Amino acid sequence: MGIKTVKRHGDTLRDKLYIPAIVSGMKTTMRHFVTNIKDNSNLITKSYPEVQPTDITDRYRGVHRLTKREDDSISCVACYMCATACPADCMFIEATERTDGVDEKMPAVFNIDLLECVFCGYCVEACPCDAIRMDTGIFSFVADQRKDFILSKEALLANTRSKDFSDD
Amino acid sequence: MEFAAVVIIFINILLAVNLAVGTTPIMVWWERRVSGFMQGRSGPNRAHIGGIRLGGLVQSVADMIKLAFKEDFIPAFIKHKMFFIMAPVIMFICSFLTVGVIPFADRLVIDGVTYTMQALPIDLGILWFLAFAGLSVYGIVLGGYASTSKFGILSSIRAIAQVISYEASMGLAIISMLIVYGSVNLSDIAEYQGGLLFGFIPAWGIIMQPLAALIFIVAAFAETNRAPFDLAEGESELVAGYHTEYSAMRFGLFQVSEFAAMSAASALIVTMFFGGYQVPWLNTQALQENINIVLFAMMIILPATIYFFTQWIKKNNTWVDENDPRAKESKILIKIFKGIAIAVVVILALLLLFGLGTNGTNIATAMIQVSTFLLKFFLINFFFVWIRWTLLRFRYDQLQLLGWKVLLPLALLNIVITATYVLVLGA
Repeated sequence: MGIKTVKRHGDTLRDKLYIPAIVSGMKTTMRHFVTNIKDNSNLITKSYPEVQPTDITDRYRGVHRLTKREDDSISCVACYMCATACPADCMFIEATERTDGVDEKMPAVFNIDLLECVFCGYCVEACPCDAIRMDTGIFSFVADQRKDFILSKEALLANTRSKDFSDD
Repeated sequence: MEFAAVVIIFINILLAVNLAVGTTPIMVWWERRVSGFMQGRSGPNRAHIGGIRLGGLVQSVADMIKLAFKEDFIPAFIKHKMFFIMAPVIMFICSFLTVGVIPFADRLVIDGVTYTMQALPIDLGILWFLAFAGLSVYGIVLGGYASTSKFGILSSIRAIAQVISYEASMGLAIISMLIVYGSVNLSDIAEYQGGLLFGFIPAWGIIMQPLAALIFIVAAFAETNRAPFDLAEGESELVAGYHTEYSAMRFGLFQVSEFAAMSAASALIVTMFFGGYQVPWLNTQALQENINIVLFAMMIILPATIYFFTQWIKKNNTWVDENDPRAKESKILIKIFKGIAIAVVVILALLLLFGLGTNGTNIATAMIQVSTFLLKFFLINFFFVWIRWTLLRFRYDQLQLLGWKVLLPLALLNIVITATYVLVLGA
């Protein structure tokens, strides 16, 4: 046992000269420069709007969608669980009676304000009917007006599971 | 005045102006794209005029137009409005005038009359550079002081302390070079470097005086406020330093003068240490004697270079969307470059066929030398950019330590060694 002396860095002549370290750093940057300029496809970044990302994982929480039953009708029973769980208060649901005999209740209005939404996924967790999901893989949404960011029931039903994701 | 004299003076002034100011968009473009490639990203490559992107150069033009048309805003709390307005102008003029004494080619003889190939016909040379390089810091100081802002004044203090520290070692490095060259005139200095050392190495400044070259290059980085010595605008501490309060074209002028100072420093580094306009192993006389061989070599090398460049364009200058005008750019550029290659070959072949005459030989030599100078100039500018994206900014005490405790003694030692060598050997 005894005191262990740790050798400090920067004491050698090589370190004090700076030049070898500078040269090795410049070699690194030049290597990157040469590989990238020789063949631009080596660049890590993508030419984004034209080249879309393909590496979005299955767990990614994108824009919501409303699922459908096997007979292509809406799964949602307008129980308000999602709207209750929502920490951002971005869901606006109005229930109505369901007359086609499949179930008793369904939403007349189901709006999600994407400008309010924090994409926490609590609505998906809260749903007892697996009626709302966030597996569309849509990560980018743009519009000219604020009201265009409010997705209606029809828009949510029209969204589908992302093709890049593996099947259930 | 003779017609030839007017043309030559005009060309020289045009070259100097373009090296000082015209290179700014190119340097901004290089700075952004080179840094991009070094960091694995692409840099600006989308802006286009009718599909022509020129590898992103159009972005610089767009940025300049934007700066020029922005509102020229002076904050209400600025009391010394005249100093505030003068500061970028002083900095710009000082950086701009420096390029005037750089020789772009050897003295040109036309019909027995000799013309110097520099924009300002003065013999001060290196002294002119020292004077204006020192003066340009007044722009920073005035700008920082007149900004009535703590960031500005701190930046001014840093800039002036830095320039004082590094001007000393820079001057001493230059003195050892002057002992070697025996002249302050940059034309003489460049002419001297056309010789050969031991009969086979070009007698460039960097080979004769590597230590002085190193000190001068480091000090030039500090003088031009470039990384790793850009403490005056250390954005992590001082927002933007002396140009925090500036906007629109006043800020643009600061930016232009920064790049003009960089260009001036590279032009001087080329002239002092990298043989100026001299083609290695081919000084002016050798060029003039072997002009036919040189032209023939160019006739082969230039189209070959253009061929490889077009191959590179075909491979790399692509656009994913077929219908976008940018997708057609490569074809247009390749056509233009092929046209240039054919034109070059035809012109050179005609020159070789019909012979050049004395004036023609001299002019061709001058043109080759100007191209050589420009090539070296852009390489050194690339070096500036390369250093900037490699090295981290110095801490302030480290900066002063390097200036006073390392560079200054080394410069003094170098003078003593050089002077002793020259005295003892009488060389």
